[in-house]
Amino acid sequence: MWTIKRFPALWLLPALLPVALMTIYPVAHAFWTSLHSVMLLFPGEPFVGLDNYKRVVSSNYFQDTLRNSLVFTFLAAPLVVIIGTLIALFLQRRFFGSQVVRSIVLLPWVLPGAISAVLWIWVFHPSFGVLNGLLRDLNLIDSSIPWLTSPRLALISVVVAHVWTQIPFAVVLIMAALSGINSETLEAAAIDCRSAFKRFRYIIFPEIRAMIVVLVVYNALTAFTTYDLVYAMTGGGPGTATTLLSFQIWRESFSMYDFGSGSAVAFIVVAISAVLIVAITRALPSDLFAEE
Amino acid sequence: MQRGLNPFLTFLFASLIVLFTGGPVILSLVGSVVPDRILLDSSKALFSEGLNFETYRYVFTGQLPDSYLAESANRAMISDAARQVPQSLFNSSVIAFSSMVLNLLIGAPAAYVFARYVFPGKKLTFMFLILSPLVPAVALVTPVYIMLQTLGLVGTQAGIILVHTAKALPFTVLILSVFFRKMPAEIFEAAVLDHCSRFQTFWRIALPLALPSIGATGLFAFMLSYSEYMFSMVLSGDAATRPVSVVMAALARNTDVSWSLLNTAIFIAIVPTLVLVIFVWRFVVEGLLSGAVKG
Repeated sequence: MWTIKRFPALWLLPALLPVALMTIYPVAHAFWTSLHSVMLLFPGEPFVGLDNYKRVVSSNYFQDTLRNSLVFTFLAAPLVVIIGTLIALFLQRRFFGSQVVRSIVLLPWVLPGAISAVLWIWVFHPSFGVLNGLLRDLNLIDSSIPWLTSPRLALISVVVAHVWTQIPFAVVLIMAALSGINSETLEAAAIDCRSAFKRFRYIIFPEIRAMIVVLVVYNALTAFTTYDLVYAMTGGGPGTATTLLSFQIWRESFSMYDFGSGSAVAFIVVAISAVLIVAITRALPSDLFAEE
Repeated sequence: MQRGLNPFLTFLFASLIVLFTGGPVILSLVGSVVPDRILLDSSKALFSEGLNFETYRYVFTGQLPDSYLAESANRAMISDAARQVPQSLFNSSVIAFSSMVLNLLIGAPAAYVFARYVFPGKKLTFMFLILSPLVPAVALVTPVYIMLQTLGLVGTQAGIILVHTAKALPFTVLILSVFFRKMPAEIFEAAVLDHCSRFQTFWRIALPLALPSIGATGLFAFMLSYSEYMFSMVLSGDAATRPVSVVMAALARNTDVSWSLLNTAIFIAIVPTLVLVIFVWRFVVEGLLSGAVKG
């Protein structure tokens, strides 16, 4: 690590400027909105302080949707990273057809979100669904399982669909990180350490740790802030079983036309995601955020 | 390389992976060549009437499938949006490719100095980059729209490219800096001894060594832009500039549209992207597995 005396503007500004353009004014605008009563039907935008926040936190949906979002995030983010890592470790080997499998893994990536939702509805559909059909043909079940209409199963089903959409990215990055490991280290490990699990735990994992932290952070953030796939699959139901907190941003703003409350939900989401990110980077320290 | 796994276990794992990641897409391929009335009728075998390519013909030539011309057929099952798919694929490729190139062009130098140097303002700018994607996009749609309107970029591809580039950049920089940091320091020390300037070290040594990783990161930027829906919808103009995610969402949300037409559209939309992605990924994997970075 070398030191530069001046700020390396030529290297950094091209990247910082577009991000700043798309962040500073829009975020400031959204924050201003969250402190004012901005409704389409009422002219004038009076300052109301934290009223929007109070109304959101005390609303009848807040507790349910927050719990759903947290459960969704705590299930989805680790699952994506664990399954992604397992697939990446497996695909590192060469076997007959490995090239084909490596390509098929990328399939979920090339589908726009709205389409993934349609495909997964087809898998989980109670009467026409492929999953129920398959289970029935194998004589494992007698009657159809209501994948999307029973509250608990619906949440699990949408987690499965969400994990599916995020797997390729995790596989690509973990495979890239795995390849950065010095091959001599691996050869030495193969000689010294016969247990595959120990080899992973003590030699491979420390090498890809930084990438895993990036992936966990990215996936926690994605899981906590997206709602479109889930909403397209279940419409938030049955009841409020799969209504996510981030969906309320959209509902308050573009369905109720209460932009103040919508922005207030957004900043509550920001605060919770910030806590999540700090917690993740504390729990999984890596040299990524170090200052040396 | 590890010792070989039992061939049976290998086959089992490989099948599981293929079934999970590819399964829903295979369903859509089947759905695109089987008419609805057979698909939804459990008493009929799936391929009892053979394969049916009428919906493909409709998307490319506009000739209506025979089953929809029959009397009392529900005409709402056909949607014009399906015919926009080929054009929207082209639009999406332009947008996603530009966003990818911009991301790598301005993201890689930033990632390099973040990974290899200490400088005043490093912590502040790095934190800014990492924290900028925290605010959910839904809350930013309105202000971004207002801002791009004053810049005159609403309804143009440039506006969408700008938003997508800014959306992917924090992650591109983060991912690339992980790769640059993992490179052995000796290589860079040798470069300094040989009187390489900072730019030469970056251009001649770091970049070529990181090429497979840069390919992987480029794929990420490309796919992020390709599948982004909300900003694409708000900022795109008429049918001639609409990207594929917007067209596909319009089709998917129209519950009247026939399954086979929807699946046909899905399949036509997937194939060119898949070919491109696999092509890049092959190159990345080859580079990765041959061990581009040797200690």
